[in-house]
Order: sequence, then C-alpha cells, then structure tokens
Amino acid sequence: MNVLILGANGMLGPHVIKALEPHHTLRLTDINDLDTPHEYIKVDASDLDHVVRVAEGMDAIINLSVMRTDRVRAFDVSARGCYNMMVAAVEHNIDRVINTGPFYAVAGPSYERFDHGVGPDVPAHPGTWLYALTKSLGQEICNVFTEFHDIHVMDLLFYMFLHAETHVGEPGDPIAQIGHDLVPYTVSWRDAADSFRCALDIDLSALPSRSEVFFMFPDLPHGKFSNEKAKRILGWQPQDDLSQYWMKS
Amino acid sequence: MKILITSGGSDLSRHLADSLATHHDVHVTDRDQIESPHDFERSDLDHSRATNSLIAGVDVIVHSGASDPDASASDQLDYQMRCTYNLLRAAVEEGVPRFVYLSTLRLLDLYDEKMAVTERWKPRPTTNPPLLATHLGEIVCREFAREHGIQVVILRLGELTEDGESQPSTSALYFDDAAQAVTKALDAELSGWLDIFHVQSAVPGARYLVGQPWWSADDVSPPVSLGFSPQGRAER
Repeated sequence: MNVLILGANGMLGPHVIKALEPHHTLRLTDINDLDTPHEYIKVDASDLDHVVRVAEGMDAIINLSVMRTDRVRAFDVSARGCYNMMVAAVEHNIDRVINTGPFYAVAGPSYERFDHGVGPDVPAHPGTWLYALTKSLGQEICNVFTEFHDIHVMDLLFYMFLHAETHVGEPGDPIAQIGHDLVPYTVSWRDAADSFRCALDIDLSALPSRSEVFFMFPDLPHGKFSNEKAKRILGWQPQDDLSQYWMKS
Repeated sequence: MKILITSGGSDLSRHLADSLATHHDVHVTDRDQIESPHDFERSDLDHSRATNSLIAGVDVIVHSGASDPDASASDQLDYQMRCTYNLLRAAVEEGVPRFVYLSTLRLLDLYDEKMAVTERWKPRPTTNPPLLATHLGEIVCREFAREHGIQVVILRLGELTEDGESQPSTSALYFDDAAQAVTKALDAELSGWLDIFHVQSAVPGARYLVGQPWWSADDVSPPVSLGFSPQGRAER
C-alpha cells in the first residue's frame, strides 16, 4: 500500500515508520527536515494546496501532525490540517485515513475527572484546552467528510508513551514510576506503532461505520478508560507488559 | 447594557447595531475598516491583549457565525474556529457574562421538511466551508459553555430576507425578527450555560418550529424560553 504520513518527524513518527516500512511504501512529509531512506517531501499540513498535491497516488493517509501550544498554529495544523487532509482524500479517491490525537479530544476533563469505564464512542467533551479542542475540531471535520464521501477514518487516540522496559522515571515523574503507578492511559511506543499496522490491514468493510474512534492503550487495572473496541475491531493486541508500574516494588 | 457586535460591516450586524442602539450602548468591530455610525474599533480578533481590551467591560458579545463568502475555505474555517476561540477566551478572562453566537438553521436542512425539527435535533452540516465553519464555531461555543460557566446563547437564524420579498423561502427570517431574537437573547433568563434557539419568521409554510420552551427531563429545571415571537409579513 502507498501510504502518506503527515507529520512524520514528530515523536511518534519514527516508531510508526519502523512498524510499517517492511509492509508498505511510505511517503513521508513534515514541516521539518527529515533524514530518511524513504521518499520525503517537506510539507506544512496547514497548506491546503500542498497537502492535496502530495497525496496523489496514495492509498492511505496517516496524520501524525500536531501543534499543541501556539494558538494560531494549533488551529492551522490540528484542526484545519484535517480539512486539508480530507479534501486531499476526496481529490485522489483515497478511502482510508488514519487520524490521531489525545484521548481528551473525546474524553476531556468532564469525563476524565469524574468517570470510569469511558469508551471512545461517547459524545466529545474536549473542553477548551487548546490541544484538546483543536484536535477534537479536526476529528469532527473528518467525521463530517465521511458523511458525504466514501472515506473511512479511523481515529487512534493516545496519551502517554514510554519504553516499557527501559523507562526510568524521575522522582515525581507524573507519567510512570515503577511501583508508584502510571497515567491510566499509557502505552509503549512499540505497541502504539503496531496499531497503525492494524489500521492499514483491516478490511474497511469490517468497520461499523466510516468514522470510528479507538482508545489505544494496553490492559490497565484502573478501569478509567476502555480499550475493548480497539482489540475487538482492529484486532490490536498490545504486547508490552506495564505491570511493573502499578505493582508496589 | 454595553454590547459588542462582530462582523460590523455585514447587513445583519448593521441592522442589529441600529436596532439595539435605541436601548443599549452599542460597539461594533470588524476585521476590515468600515464606516459605522456606532462606536467602531477594527480588530483581527487575534490572540492578543487587543482582543481583551476590545471586550473589557462588555456585557454581551454578539458574534456572527456567518463567513465572508469571498474568503478562502481556509480563512472561513480559521475565522469561525480560531477567532471565536479567541473571543471566548478573552470573554472568560475579562468576565463577560454572556455570549450570543449567530448560527444558521441551514445546519438542519438535511432533515425532511415534514419533520418537526427543534433545537434538540443533531446538526447535520455538510462539507461546504461556510456551513462547516459555523458548525465548528458552535462546537467552540459549546465547550466554553461547558467548562467556564459563561452563558452562551446560540441563535440559529433562518435565511435573512428583505422586508419586501414577495416569495420568501420557508425558512425566511426578516431583519426585524432577527433583531427581536437578539434583543431577547441579551437578557432572557436562561439555563446559565448553553442555550440554543431556532429563529425564523412566520412565513407561509414556515419550516422550523420556533418559540417552544426547552425543558429538561429532570424535575428540577424549569422550562427555558427565549420569548421570541415572530411577527411575519402579514402583521408588519
């Protein structure tokens, strides 16, 4: 499959490339320069014409682009970037799009602070934090396009990443400390990357609708969120054991 | 009351400003330099102190969800998402108590005309940039209402129509009726966070139901009503 990756030089990009390069032909794009053996084109995801041009000849688009803090660029990249990607998909008859974001693009503070057992199909409550809201708006743009075009969008939502075996948190590290618990939405880089392989492999007719959201994290004991849908529909089976973080040392 | 109206150069905003100015201290802003008989300040509605200064001391912001039809799709989306965000963020910071967003009934046009569509129905935007942009603007409003306690009133307006139109559409809204709805939205006693109202005139075959009170399924919240009563052409 010919796969376009937007934002390929971010934190997750190298892991996704490593997981996909044995199986697919990759066209990498990023606003920053990238030293890679794969085809690389410098692209600003907020540039509609450029995004449309680089999507020519592709079978799928993966959107890893993100801008979290600058207010102008956050709307440009995280929200309007999705519009540009979907216009490109329409233009080139690309029927498979994999979008990404944080879990709070759906389950913002009004879920996270109070509830447990939260699944990915609840109505979006991103709140007003710039990162969450702009990613949620981007997700909604994708969703509206799927209503009118034969394009399937899979939204893979992540939060904290770590190297399962080598991560050593600093004292007070809010992400994960061995024996002191971890953020109840954490996944290893390797398992996160493998979810993209699943999203490219899945028969589109196996998806319940043209717009599906998935929470991507391994089995965690907190019961805060649910990964059941990702395992059941995508067939994603995370391999890395994170239990050392939530068991007392 | 001190009122700020955005997109001051549009026909609707000009009409609203003139109408509201009979009882309120009306201020107008626009991203372009325009001529206005009211207190005018040009603003990009950017992420800057200038936006905070623009709205400081304002009691109600009336923000247009209509896009400039000559603008690019990117600019239309940017305006309704980012500029609406900037306005709301500044409003929260400056303690502005109420925000009125002028959306459109076209968000419900995909439903069968025979259906009794009310504010409880899910919006169905298309990918057409002006409509998609307004839908996204509503979402920005909704999240601020949910999180910050600022009172947001979304008025979904019908098709703005000149008074003398001989064959108005079934979702027509005369400018005076629009002004009446906005006037009511300034100080109506509402839920205190997010309230949505459909607004159109009483034209023949009127497509959308208006003026019905909202009610909650709980036994605590009283019904909420804007008090809007369309006049229609026959009564004008």
